[in-house]
Amino acid sequence: MSNLLDLIVAGLATGAIYALVAVGFTLLWQTSQTINFAQGEFVMLPAFLMLAVMHLGAPFWLAVLVGVLLSALLLGLAFKMLLVDPMLRHGVLPLAIATMALAIGIKEAVKQFFSAEASPFPSIVPAGDISVLGRAISLQSLGVLAVAILAVVGLTMLLNRTSLGHQMQAAAQNPTVARIIGVPVERMILLTFLINAVLVALASLLITPIYLAKFSSGEVLGQAAFIAAIVGGFNQVRGAIAGGLLIGVVDNLAAAYISTQYRAAVPMLLLILMILFRPQGLLGRAEERTV
Amino acid sequence: MTAVLDVRDVKKSFGGITAVNGVSFDVQEGEILGLIGPNGCGKSTLFNCILGQLVPSAGEVRVDGKLVTGQRPSELNRLGVSRTFQLLQVFPKLSVRDNLILAGQEHRGSMLSRLLGPSDAGLTTTADQMIGFFKLEHLANEPAGGLSYGQQKLLDAAMAFMGGPRLVLLDEPAGGVNPTMLGDLKERLIAINRERRATFVVIEHNMEFVMSLCSRVMVMAEGKVLAIGKPDEIRANPAVIEAYLGH
Repeated sequence: MSNLLDLIVAGLATGAIYALVAVGFTLLWQTSQTINFAQGEFVMLPAFLMLAVMHLGAPFWLAVLVGVLLSALLLGLAFKMLLVDPMLRHGVLPLAIATMALAIGIKEAVKQFFSAEASPFPSIVPAGDISVLGRAISLQSLGVLAVAILAVVGLTMLLNRTSLGHQMQAAAQNPTVARIIGVPVERMILLTFLINAVLVALASLLITPIYLAKFSSGEVLGQAAFIAAIVGGFNQVRGAIAGGLLIGVVDNLAAAYISTQYRAAVPMLLLILMILFRPQGLLGRAEERTV
Repeated sequence: MTAVLDVRDVKKSFGGITAVNGVSFDVQEGEILGLIGPNGCGKSTLFNCILGQLVPSAGEVRVDGKLVTGQRPSELNRLGVSRTFQLLQVFPKLSVRDNLILAGQEHRGSMLSRLLGPSDAGLTTTADQMIGFFKLEHLANEPAGGLSYGQQKLLDAAMAFMGGPRLVLLDEPAGGVNPTMLGDLKERLIAINRERRATFVVIEHNMEFVMSLCSRVMVMAEGKVLAIGKPDEIRANPAVIEAYLGH
């Protein structure tokens, strides 16, 4: 029992990061039918951008700022204009395949131009433990959890409580009518891509101190976020949050109580069960699309 | 007096097929004009030409005397021309009230003002009046996608009236609506027409609905205007009977 609380808190912290990534994933799907199989690599890359800026002699805070801006530029603007827009004309499937190619491209480029070795990455949350109900809980886990929750709450408020958010939702739910009533649909879609880029940069900032900066770390992250989005409900932001937290905890408990070798299999099993018995996900709604 | 809508010699061809062939008519303020005709006669194409969703091959469309031919739907929307859809078009995950607020907004301003401005753009009162008018009070906070078909038709109509439009084009408002709801819809449309002097053009296949709602009816056949007049005149017109019955 003594271990369980630690495992759950650590699992929730990782899960909150998965949730950030999964939320971005579902936002892109909802606004532009983009299934981004490079989402994991999108989380891996900003840490390397920040490390590169630090190698030039910049302090950590400046590297973070530049890293986030570069992410918005590369993973938001350039991704949409150079890959999504041209490929989407040919359909959802060619675009999905193109994002797979992009994932390989980013991974190999980082390996080639940066390093194949894992690099340490500074944490924005101080190391150490604090005592909660007489138990020592990792400060880093709590910090990560807090930052991720703040980001998700902020995003949810943006989407549900502001005029901008309602217009973004309108553009995603019915672009034809949104255009007629004057919503600048294209700008709203671009904004979604920028939000996704900032979310992955934040996830990168939170997860890299725990798992180190490594060219291949996107594989695990992308898979976890994908499973989280499906399990939670692909067409709901709150589904992606629930799915992320669930996968984080299940993954951690599986590693502790079953086997570290099989930890990746447990979320995958959950995914298969979900697709078999509740394909719309935990919180998702069944959706019909004309094809 | 200038007509609210003035359509002159509008033509629209697709390849070699002329869907709308030189149609002219006007609609005066406060009038409800019905637009009927057999399937494929060009009604919807004409609607889309007026609304800027298609650019006419020839001819002119004026709203309040202003030439609007070929303008985009969003620009026409700003000029006070709104529409309802044949197939339902609401924002399914947003509440009924939020659907109305979105429909009533001008959607102008910077991203920052959209972010920091009031989320309802000051339109909650207007939206609630419209909700009351269309008797949707008990559904105001429900997601629009959860409403019945008939309720969504009412919401669609309410959305078209949010901006206080000069002219509303209704595309088969009665299609698929049950008789009780249809009575409600007709009564509400007549009320809004009288109270706000709103001008309508209505495409509809339900003859009883058209004849009891409209002050004038225009009949189209094979892309042309076959007849235009009061409902009783149209009912008795031999050319109209022939077009419908195929004699």
